[in-house]
Amino acid sequence: MSLPSKTDKPQALIALIAVQSLCAAFFLWDVVDDLGPNGLRALANLHIAIEALAALALVSAIVYETRALMALLRRKAHLENQVSIAAGAFHDIMLDHFQTWGLTAAEQDVAGFTIKGLSIAEIADLRGSAEGTVKSQLNAIYRKAGVPGRGALLGLLVDDLMNAPLTPEKPLQKEAP
Amino acid sequence: MTDHKIWDPFVRAFHWSVAAGFLANALLTEDDSKLHEWVGYAVLILLGLRILWGFIGPKSARFSSFWPTRTGVTEQLSDLATRRRKAHLGHTPLGALMIFNLLLSLLAIGLTGWMMTTNTFWGVDWVEEAHEALVIWAEISVVLHVAAVIWESWRTGVNLPQAMVTGTKRVPDDVKLVP
Repeated sequence: MSLPSKTDKPQALIALIAVQSLCAAFFLWDVVDDLGPNGLRALANLHIAIEALAALALVSAIVYETRALMALLRRKAHLENQVSIAAGAFHDIMLDHFQTWGLTAAEQDVAGFTIKGLSIAEIADLRGSAEGTVKSQLNAIYRKAGVPGRGALLGLLVDDLMNAPLTPEKPLQKEAP
Repeated sequence: MTDHKIWDPFVRAFHWSVAAGFLANALLTEDDSKLHEWVGYAVLILLGLRILWGFIGPKSARFSSFWPTRTGVTEQLSDLATRRRKAHLGHTPLGALMIFNLLLSLLAIGLTGWMMTTNTFWGVDWVEEAHEALVIWAEISVVLHVAAVIWESWRTGVNLPQAMVTGTKRVPDDVKLVP
């Protein structure tokens, strides 16, 4: 995973997705046009079948890119104004855990804020949601992480950070000594 | 809940009459009929007024107040990625992109439609094909526009269709407002 010092370019990815979506829309429309009155039986024609497959492949590429873009934007949103290697390494460990625990995008955002020490009221204000919503999201986070509260959650992450090298070149090691 | 007066009467009248005109010409009127032509010209006049209004109208109607920037688009996408509930009082950056797309597409549809009535371009294939392709493009855009409005209303709790009727946005207290 890249460190924040490296320039991430969501805008290039956004432009790529936009252009590919236009292409996909055109090819899909073309396929639908080719199917014509014969409906799905037209797929027996090898050329049309290959065209349909190519269009579907392009669509799945766009879905994959969109997911990558969303992850990139989440990462940038959490790392704003933090350029140190330690912050990047800590964030990578955080993300790694969030994924293992199966946190949703909203829960990841809330977990990030709570680890930074923000109160429930502050998180609710930042995210534009009710305090009750944040409370239930925090409960879900602690349940999924298998910890009783914020202190233990932070403990889990710090424990891993101490075992991780802070060099940008090497991938992060997760296993305990 | 806080109420914010945001859409002036002209913007609202423009929105719904253009929507009605486009739907009528795309789905209801006969392609070769006089009615189709007149509805098309009416939409063109409305577009011209809206563009003028975009320079001289009240703040929320001006293009300068919702000109989409790359930062604005990235920020809105980040809010979506992190599921943060932020509401924009005027148009959102992505919404603004759709508005400019629709304005330009409808202008081009009107222009190619008018060209088909002139002696120079009457019966010229590419004009008719462009007119039809642009209509398909506009139809896809309208479907996306409606889907996005429904989704954004659900996500932020601000009833956007209602705001386009009454002119007032009702924003829930816990939603963060982006100016």
